Amino acid sequence: MRTYVAKRLAIAGVTLLGMSLLLFVLMRLAPGNITDIIFESAGYVDEADRHRLEAELGIDKPLVVQYGRWLGDLVRGELGKSYRYDLPAWEVIKPRLPVTLELAVLAMGFSVLLGVPFGVISAVRRGRPLDYALRVVSLAGLSMPAFWLAMVIILTLVRSVGWIPSMTYVSPFDDLRANLVQFLLPALAVGYRSSALIMRITRSTMLEVLREDYIRTAWAKGQREALVVWRHALKNASLPVVTLIGIEFAFLIGGLVVTETVFNLPGVARYLVDAIQFRDYPIVQNLAMLIAVVVVLANLAVDVLYTWLDPRIKYGSA
Amino acid sequence: MRQPVPLAAALSLLLALGLVLAPGPGTAQAPRSGGVLVTSPLSATPSLSPHEESTIATVQQASPCFNNLVYYDPMKKVESVDTIIPELAEKWSWQDNYRNLVFFLRKDVKWHDGKPFTSQDVKYTFDMVRGAPDAKARLKVNPRKLWYEAVEAIEAPDAYTVVFRLKHPQPSLLLMLASGYSPVYPAHVPLAEFKNKCIGTGPFKLKDNKPGELVEYVRNPDYFVKGRPYLDGIKFVIIRDRSTQIAALQSGQLDVGGSGWNKTNAENAKNGAPKLTIVEADSNVNDNVLVNFKKAPFNDVRVRRAINLALDRKAYLIGPRQGAATFGGALLPRPAGMWGLPAAEVAKLPGMADPKQQKAEARKLLAEAGFTAANPLKMVVSTRALAIYVDTASWMVDQLEQVGVQATLEQIETGVWHPKMTRLEYQVALNLTGVGIDDPDAQLFENYHCGSQRNFSGYCSEEIDKLMAQQSQTLDRAKRLALVNEIDRKLQADGARPILGWGKQYYVHWPHVKNWAVHENSIYNVSRRQDVWLDK
Amino acid sequence: MATIPAFDLAIPESLPAARSRRSALWHFVRKNPLGALGGVLMVALVVAALGADVLATHNPVRTSTHVLVPPGAEFWLGSDNLGRDLYSRIVHGSRISLAVGIASTLLGGVLGGLLGLLSGYVGGRTDLLLQRVMDVMQALPILVLALVLAAALGPSLTNTIFAISVVIVPRAARVVRASVLSIREFVYVESARALGVGHARVAFRHILPNTFGPFIVLVTAQLGGAILVEAALSFLGLGVPEPYPSWGRMLSIAAAEYAHKAPWLVIYPGLAISLAVFGTNLLGDALRDSLDPRLRGS
Repeated sequence: MRTYVAKRLAIAGVTLLGMSLLLFVLMRLAPGNITDIIFESAGYVDEADRHRLEAELGIDKPLVVQYGRWLGDLVRGELGKSYRYDLPAWEVIKPRLPVTLELAVLAMGFSVLLGVPFGVISAVRRGRPLDYALRVVSLAGLSMPAFWLAMVIILTLVRSVGWIPSMTYVSPFDDLRANLVQFLLPALAVGYRSSALIMRITRSTMLEVLREDYIRTAWAKGQREALVVWRHALKNASLPVVTLIGIEFAFLIGGLVVTETVFNLPGVARYLVDAIQFRDYPIVQNLAMLIAVVVVLANLAVDVLYTWLDPRIKYGSA
Repeated sequence: MRQPVPLAAALSLLLALGLVLAPGPGTAQAPRSGGVLVTSPLSATPSLSPHEESTIATVQQASPCFNNLVYYDPMKKVESVDTIIPELAEKWSWQDNYRNLVFFLRKDVKWHDGKPFTSQDVKYTFDMVRGAPDAKARLKVNPRKLWYEAVEAIEAPDAYTVVFRLKHPQPSLLLMLASGYSPVYPAHVPLAEFKNKCIGTGPFKLKDNKPGELVEYVRNPDYFVKGRPYLDGIKFVIIRDRSTQIAALQSGQLDVGGSGWNKTNAENAKNGAPKLTIVEADSNVNDNVLVNFKKAPFNDVRVRRAINLALDRKAYLIGPRQGAATFGGALLPRPAGMWGLPAAEVAKLPGMADPKQQKAEARKLLAEAGFTAANPLKMVVSTRALAIYVDTASWMVDQLEQVGVQATLEQIETGVWHPKMTRLEYQVALNLTGVGIDDPDAQLFENYHCGSQRNFSGYCSEEIDKLMAQQSQTLDRAKRLALVNEIDRKLQADGARPILGWGKQYYVHWPHVKNWAVHENSIYNVSRRQDVWLDK
Repeated sequence: MATIPAFDLAIPESLPAARSRRSALWHFVRKNPLGALGGVLMVALVVAALGADVLATHNPVRTSTHVLVPPGAEFWLGSDNLGRDLYSRIVHGSRISLAVGIASTLLGGVLGGLLGLLSGYVGGRTDLLLQRVMDVMQALPILVLALVLAAALGPSLTNTIFAISVVIVPRAARVVRASVLSIREFVYVESARALGVGHARVAFRHILPNTFGPFIVLVTAQLGGAILVEAALSFLGLGVPEPYPSWGRMLSIAAAEYAHKAPWLVIYPGLAISLAVFGTNLLGDALRDSLDPRLRGS
């Protein structure tokens, strides 16, 4: 087990290294760099000034040197400075993390809250109209663009009730109630979409489990349907669902990007989009690496959990 | 008992009271102190340093912190040399036929950190901005250096006197110093700190700055104008999505909205919340077409004129501008502006007459230049990758197609736009230009002078340059206006930078917001906000 | 049937007779009403894309002075802020969505499939290496990777297709690899090798055809995702540029500027995207259900 975890960690390390190289190269491929952006807001470009600025920021050095320097900084925990705001990158990212985290956790919660029951009901009532209805509703969530759903929500709210959630971030420590109200709709919008995946896997796993002999035995013995379902089937179906939650994290983050934009939440996902647009290399690289680390570790944790919980699965090489 | 007397007395007393208490048409409400105003600026500002930026977003969010030597009176809608009022300078005087400008500064001003304001700060600031060789600080980027080209030296003979010595007369210098882009910086604060912080002398002190999210100000209790500001604070909340901005205003989360809005946005906002007040004004921001003078076939005046004719200005007004724009030449036309061409001449500019006729004429010109149905002119229209530009550029592409030009649209990302324009890596581009003040020196030199950094079309005419220099030194206003109009006419004939239209600006606010100033001929010089008050 | 994997089949020697084909279709519809609905939506999408010129009522890029007209006789779904007909733009937009979706899915799918084939067949170090590369590509959420790519390459039609296909490659590779791994051990493959058939021939003639099943399922499933990513990229300003009318971009401009006055500008393009993706998802689900015996009967 330990060797397995160690091996997976090593692989994760290699993956992240590859990711860092990919990010570095891609950002440099993009035309224009931060000095162009700085001049952009000044409304003109002066080549001499630009070279001077580049030297100041250290982006006139050869790419290999820059890459090495960045990796070295990362390893030391030095996240560098945001080019655009001239503040330490960590200082800019730090206040935004809890926002995205809260949104992600709440959205995850909603997706499980919606997905699992839908999946169970759908499996138990397989083939009946309720099954189809739930599958349609669930799939509809997966088919809608996240930003469209968010925009429609805001528009409908304003037109019908004349109220929208606060557009200025309220910290949960300042006012928990206002904070939850603010996050309710965006979390619902993101969670609804993710719930489709959970619903699907719950449903198919439940179907498999429901066919198992011991379930049939329980039926035959006359045990109440609900009891059978909830006690036996759900327990066994939970394993793949847990796995999926880990994988789904990556999918969730994509939805966060647009939702944070439309609901004006100051989170890291939206900030990443801004940083890409402004060629703020340190922010883009470090944020994207952060996301990659989270995703990779989440997958790793889920796989480890899976192995540990279900020793029937053997993980050989590759 | 003689009752009628007390009754009459009572009635007269009531009447008198009524006259005193009821706000008549001539009686203004007395402003009240208190309250925090929340508004959404155009966008996040890259820094709080107006000298290093060229976007209204910076001016909006930094002006409450600073003061200028002189400023434009917020309450006078049309800016001109006659509406300039003192700020840090109590008095000023031109000497030697507009060759020396002397300012006498206030003695009772302190910076937000308590240090006293002196003439050294003025000298420091403007030596820096004009790029003086012995300047104590150097700007990383310096967009308005050319405003101060005529300044030879700045002297501070004593702590409260500053003298600007000019190489040649330039009456416009005073107007430039009154612009929102010309605040005075403290000499004792390192320049790098102005990226995210602000030490000024202004009515508001910076309370909090979350770059990209929020800029918050609190009243400056030691402000040198007693009794101002009225507000306890100002909050700039960045909301990116336009429809979210509108919703936030309608639901009361914003007191004022509208920065960057068009007419439809403003009307939508009011439709959803009828109590809102819309303020509409002209602005000195225009949509213009950059034609690359250095690339064939655009160096052919016939091709340029054809392009200009094809763009039907009336359709531009209805579509891209949603019914709100003013037509004009290179300078904002009257009555909103001070220097534009007369209306009769504007009506004769290319694109203004009957579209069918003009498009037919365009086709003819193109044919003369060698472009026919068999050999159509192919071009790329470039624009910035932002929604409003893309819309207008799409409209342009369609108009050009209607005269047989095969045009495609190229979206250029924000960071790459100006470098590309500067390097003339485009054919035709849709551009938006806003110059700090409604003044020919600023407008003409920045955009049309040979080799100017913002002269993106590569236009160069010695004759025009000479005329520009001449008008800059012309002291008689009527003569100067005539010169400026002559330049304008020539620029339009040359197709130097066809103007599609001058946009209107909108502010939408709740009725409890008072004294929210808006000027007709500039958007950059009203953001001090020291006179704004809330009636609630 | 449970012991033989679903795709161990030789290419059929003769096509089924027409009648049994028709009844097979009817059987499919009866058993999978949702899948059939998906099929109908997909067919509508394809018809709209192919017949856009005929189905549209106006030129989609022609501007006019009838701006922000509500849906009615002249503009079936209303007009936008430049006076362009929304219905015609949506119909033409189907071309872009479908083209980008199909092109990127095929490109990514084929590329990924070949990589998966290579990885699964050759095994060993090549497999390990390719697996790591795939891991890297999957370490970032789809939208984030597409964003970075689109920013790096610039907004254009081809770049959008490329960016989305890159995202699909690792998923396609994974599916094909899994399939290849299970087929590789079969007797007839081994015997083909024993007979001296070259590796390439074995790979392409014997193994590859058997991966078509899961591949088709994957492609159908990813098509919806591709359409959504393109919409999101366009919404953020990085997708397909003018003059191609793209559903995603229609939403971004409309949303920002005119949503309050002209909600049809927001409703209909979004509805179009949702229905298209809904259709691909339904169809993909149905295909997977019918081709994967484990779920047969579910």
